[in-house]
Amino acid sequence: MIVVLLIVHGLLAVALLGAITHQALSVFTVASASNGRWTFVNRFRGVDATAYATPIVVLFVVTTLGGAVLYPQYRIDVRPALEDTQNTAANGVFEIKEHLAAIGLGLMPVYWQFWRKANGHGTAPARRYLTWLVAFCVWWNFLVGHVLNDIRGLLP
Amino acid sequence: MTDSRMTIFSIMFGIFYLAAFYYDLALFRYYPEVGQFHFLRNDSLGVVILWYGWIATAALASAAIAFAVPRNLADRLWSGWAWIIPTVVVVAMLIYERRWFVS
Repeated sequence: MIVVLLIVHGLLAVALLGAITHQALSVFTVASASNGRWTFVNRFRGVDATAYATPIVVLFVVTTLGGAVLYPQYRIDVRPALEDTQNTAANGVFEIKEHLAAIGLGLMPVYWQFWRKANGHGTAPARRYLTWLVAFCVWWNFLVGHVLNDIRGLLP
Repeated sequence: MTDSRMTIFSIMFGIFYLAAFYYDLALFRYYPEVGQFHFLRNDSLGVVILWYGWIATAALASAAIAFAVPRNLADRLWSGWAWIIPTVVVVAMLIYERRWFVS
């Protein structure tokens, strides 16, 4: 059961990572190419970023809840093993992961609110920086989750 | 919850979470080896998870502040605080957590 939950958690994280990356790149202010050609990056960021906001909130909350359900197993099985092998850096990056998940969860109301009223010109900078902050949380948590999941294979 | 109250909630959440974590102010504790929640510390029950309790503390405290701030004051809040304060919270957390990476 825990393996199924871990896989579902990972798949949701992939969807969240894709959505937030599209949105985070879409709020970059980049001059368009002089020849008018669309590169891969142009196409990647040329999305309707507003449409991503609610799915991102739902995915963030559901993925974090999944992580919260998985956390006791990590605390009982994985963390003591990391402590036994004196792998303090691995414990440290996971500590940061849990803080970023919590802080990101707390950001969801204001993030959603700023994207909901996306037409307000004065709110554009706040919307952009909030999106980048959420993107940082998601990217950190995704990478750390995967590295720790595979750590026995990665470390000698 | 109105827009300005949601902003205040999110701003305060990070601050209260950091305080709850730093000062060990978990609303409750979960002991996964026995599957029990406790309000008080109980070392005989094995390893403890404080993270759920920190989130609960931060959520309750920030919701209380969000509802306590007068509406006219909340509506005058500059939108920049919505990302500046959470960013400062994240940076402060990262600085504190450097302790894991220095010998």
